[in-house]
Amino acid sequence: MLNLVKWAVLLLLFVYAVFPVLWLAVASLKTNGELMANPFSLPEIWQFQNYKKALTVSGIARLMLNSVIISSLATLLNILIASMGAYTLSRFKFRGNQFLKVLFSSGILIPLNALMIPYFVLVNSIGLYNTMGGLILVYTAIGIPISTFIIMGFMASVPDELEEAAIIDGACFYKRFFTIVFPLSRAGVVTAGTFQFLTCWNEFVYANLLTSSQAVRTVQLGIRYFTNQFATDYVSMYAAIIISILPSILAYVLFQNQIIAGLTSGAVKG
Amino acid sequence: MNVKREDRVGIAVFLTPVLVLFTLFFIFPIIYLIIVSFVEWSGLDTPAFVGFQNYLRIFNDKVFIRSISNNLIWALCAGFIQVPLAVLAALMLSYRPRGWKIFRTVYFFPKVISAIALATLWSAVYNAQYGLLNGLLRVIGLGHLQTNWLGTLKTAFPSVLIYWLFYIGYYMIIVLADIQGIPQDYYEAAEIDGAGRIRQSLNITLPLAKTSIVTCILLAMIDGLRQFAEVYILTNGGPANRTSVMVLYLYKEMQNYSYGTSSAAAVVLIAIGTVVILTIKNTLGRENL
Repeated sequence: MLNLVKWAVLLLLFVYAVFPVLWLAVASLKTNGELMANPFSLPEIWQFQNYKKALTVSGIARLMLNSVIISSLATLLNILIASMGAYTLSRFKFRGNQFLKVLFSSGILIPLNALMIPYFVLVNSIGLYNTMGGLILVYTAIGIPISTFIIMGFMASVPDELEEAAIIDGACFYKRFFTIVFPLSRAGVVTAGTFQFLTCWNEFVYANLLTSSQAVRTVQLGIRYFTNQFATDYVSMYAAIIISILPSILAYVLFQNQIIAGLTSGAVKG
Repeated sequence: MNVKREDRVGIAVFLTPVLVLFTLFFIFPIIYLIIVSFVEWSGLDTPAFVGFQNYLRIFNDKVFIRSISNNLIWALCAGFIQVPLAVLAALMLSYRPRGWKIFRTVYFFPKVISAIALATLWSAVYNAQYGLLNGLLRVIGLGHLQTNWLGTLKTAFPSVLIYWLFYIGYYMIIVLADIQGIPQDYYEAAEIDGAGRIRQSLNITLPLAKTSIVTCILLAMIDGLRQFAEVYILTNGGPANRTSVMVLYLYKEMQNYSYGTSSAAAVVLIAIGTVVILTIKNTLGRENL
């Protein structure tokens, strides 16, 4: 009996996690008429032209390119800066070290969506409103606490002896970072990087607030306009949504081990 | 390691970028919000000091009060329905039943999809005419329950809130990893004492996984307080502001060039967040985040 309940719960949650997406994927291959008539039927003929239409109407290729540029650069910068900070905080004893660790990790719990006005004023005042640079700067910054936190956990576990041996060989601070500690913390860097990339790719609030023209629009912002662009052509809109989430699914399939390892490494648990 | 003399410059160089970004994007914004919450300002004209006027205005605004209560409901549901459900699933998967890794992978899957895409997807599910939910009700013979889920006063807020509560993957994975780190000896000893699986879970697993569970409650409640995209896409606060949340409120005030009240709302949100964090830490456990 208990076993039955267990499997029922596990399977229900399983179906819940995938069914809506699968339903949307199937619906995106029907005609609008078929969708209205019965939301559950399979398409009579698979309407692949919905996807062609989705690509043309939404201009999603351009949005994707923007998202790739912004997310990649913001991830690279974020990881570099967070690794540098994590190196000093996790491996050197100095005054204020503990305070900074606590301060940075408290940043994880700040509700960032509340900071719209200051971010808007800040980005505007340095002339980066409605530019990719503005979004790259903001995305680099908002991921700093969590990235530093994850990478610190990995860097702290690199044995001191390795670095001490390098010091005897005359390796300077920077050389030790780039040739020993950073490479040996690769797992943490990849984990933090994957998280950061997904965060940037999926971010909506600041993409919405800090840009106004189509040229710098990201995918998430594009989805918001789908309902206007496609009007009552629901099936093509569904196709566009499916296209927009494909990269995330792909990233998850490729990096799921890193993502799960990152969550399970103890780093996020504090 | 102890700091060697020649490393000092390196440490300063490496810490500077983090410190600058953290100051600019985490410390300065909060101070800035507190200051702006005491002025009347459109973002364009000259700010004028108005004391506590902005706070009085938002607390006399029914929409803001509704937003606070919606956010608190959201945070409580996240912390005390979503997380316990995640813990339950983690307990079940901790015995490594057949296919547990697949369950783990699939549960986490919605977390990689953006809130915007998920919300758009769910607006299709809730759609009155051709949506999945009404279609399902017709198929199972409960057609009379069909309604315009997002457009009806009674169902709008529950609809916006509930779909999201059952995406438990993120918390499930954190708790599961913690449980899997518990040494097997404890369970072997308990088995010799004749304790069944449920007793083992209650007496061994849950207490030992407490740190990660409390961390999840913290993260989930903060998540409940900062909701925006879901509501913005699904209802934009409607019908009749029934689904408004604090971030949506402060966003709309900002769009109305009322920077003072918007900042006051943001300060209230951050204050509530701080109170929630401190309360959870003081009642459930101090050693988290």
